[in-house]
Amino acid sequence: MPVSFLDTLGEAVTRRLAARSSRRGVLGRMGAAMAVAPAFPLLPVRRAEAAPAPAANPIATLTDFERRAQSTDPTKCNYWRHCAIDGVLCGCCGGGIHTCPPGTQPSPVSWIGTCRNPDDGRSYVIAYRDCCGRNICAAPKSCDCNTADREMPIYRPQASNDIIWCFGTASTAYHCSTAAIIGQAG
Amino acid sequence: MVGWNMKTAYRAALAALLAAPAGAALAASPVLQAEQSDVATLPPVGAHWVLPATDRDSYTIYDADAGKILGTVPASILGNIALSPDRRTFYVADTIWSRVDHGTRQDLIQEYDAHTLALRREITLPPRALAVYKGQDFDVSPDGRWGYVFDMSPATSVTIVDLAKGAVARTVDIPGCALVFPWKQDGFSSLCGDGSLTNVGYAGDKPTVTHTAPFFDANNDPIFEQGLVDRATGHALFVSYTGKVYDVMLGAKPQIAAPWSIQVAAGQPVAGTGVQEQAWRPGGKQPFAWNRASGHLFVLMHVGPHWTHKTDGTEVWEFDPAHHTLVRRIDLPQPARGIAVSGDAAPLLYATSADGNMAVIDARTGTVRRTVDAHSEAMIMAPDLLPGHNG
Repeated sequence: MPVSFLDTLGEAVTRRLAARSSRRGVLGRMGAAMAVAPAFPLLPVRRAEAAPAPAANPIATLTDFERRAQSTDPTKCNYWRHCAIDGVLCGCCGGGIHTCPPGTQPSPVSWIGTCRNPDDGRSYVIAYRDCCGRNICAAPKSCDCNTADREMPIYRPQASNDIIWCFGTASTAYHCSTAAIIGQAG
Repeated sequence: MVGWNMKTAYRAALAALLAAPAGAALAASPVLQAEQSDVATLPPVGAHWVLPATDRDSYTIYDADAGKILGTVPASILGNIALSPDRRTFYVADTIWSRVDHGTRQDLIQEYDAHTLALRREITLPPRALAVYKGQDFDVSPDGRWGYVFDMSPATSVTIVDLAKGAVARTVDIPGCALVFPWKQDGFSSLCGDGSLTNVGYAGDKPTVTHTAPFFDANNDPIFEQGLVDRATGHALFVSYTGKVYDVMLGAKPQIAAPWSIQVAAGQPVAGTGVQEQAWRPGGKQPFAWNRASGHLFVLMHVGPHWTHKTDGTEVWEFDPAHHTLVRRIDLPQPARGIAVSGDAAPLLYATSADGNMAVIDARTGTVRRTVDAHSEAMIMAPDLLPGHNG
């Protein structure tokens, strides 16, 4: 089944890379690209050409989101894993941080963010999977988040959170978004 | 009919009851006449019309001078709208499921008569993934001949539609690139992940595809998706996250000018890419607008560090892009996530907010004319009335 194939492949690649990557390092970025590579058969060549090694961030400070992030309430936009999420939190819709609400279907592909856990100071690779197949969840506005740490335009799809990632699901109707940990980033 | 009759009978009885004590004075006034139900039509598209996306199921047509709704064009939460250059047709590019959230998927362009809003024709598209909420997913060539529909499956392509025939002409793959920015004639360009443009020429025969060299830093300072095109000339303005403006004449061989900084033009410190570097920056969901009469660029601005490119703006800055100068700073009545501006010489600025309000502002003075409870989403379309087309 394509869902499990893409899931397994994407996550396995990312986990292996994430285990050896420094935060925001070259491998971390490649990991993000490769996690969605199965869905972008035409992209990697251009991506390889297009991705010179980014310089290490010279400003050794946290983003505003990271400074204010909390680790106790995953139904709030400032929960640490939501550093670059765009959508309604599934935890407000009958699901959870990595759980789709009843009747919906998780997207087999997603884009990837890197978020810092304030409890342990470590950064983790987060898969922002959408839950699909039902119309948008009517949760309170406080559950509708739009954060953008290191978020990119749609021509960098592996880092773009405006895309509805309901590719490969029975229906592309968007319901809500999850934020599953797929590994430590460094 | 039963309900109507009962209501009418009730009203008649109530009227009789009220009229009875008033006696002869009211009896002298003429009896109100029975009315025929009819259907309104629209006047020609006005310079101060504006169409915010509303309530996730439509674009609502406003006369912003009167602050009144003129009509409604249906469109789904992701549907795009465009006005034909002859101003006779609203095109909606959309995806519809036969059973709301499942069933048969139907990708199509719908043609609505701009005078009656009658659904005139539906053009079936090949399966596409309408995956993102951007105005640059769909556009019509300035001569009205071609519709350009961006597809993401998630490989990317553009479906070119012959709007006169009402049929798909062909689909062109644009690997690694996205969105459509129409040329003056017979082609479009798309933004690419390596910081370049892909350029697709198509006049009904074989498409030609060219690529520019990378000209912006897609890793650290990407340009926003919401670039603006002067459809009369094919001249585009692209703005980066830190506020660099790239002036591009679109075509098979785009001419790209050296970028200029909106902060420098405004006498402000240049915004860098530091995550704690506070500066004035462009941001929002539809952060740019362009006024045809003056050629001026309007930018939704806020103060914040890098990666706040989606943050609502508190001011709109007006620039003269020909001279790289700031014309005016306009305070917004409340933070806005999307802006549009009318094309005429007495421009109105429209700003939509997270609570659904749409502010109508005199762009020459910054005066708020009115705030409309519009149920508005971020996307908002001010019809671009190309000169030489009078409908």
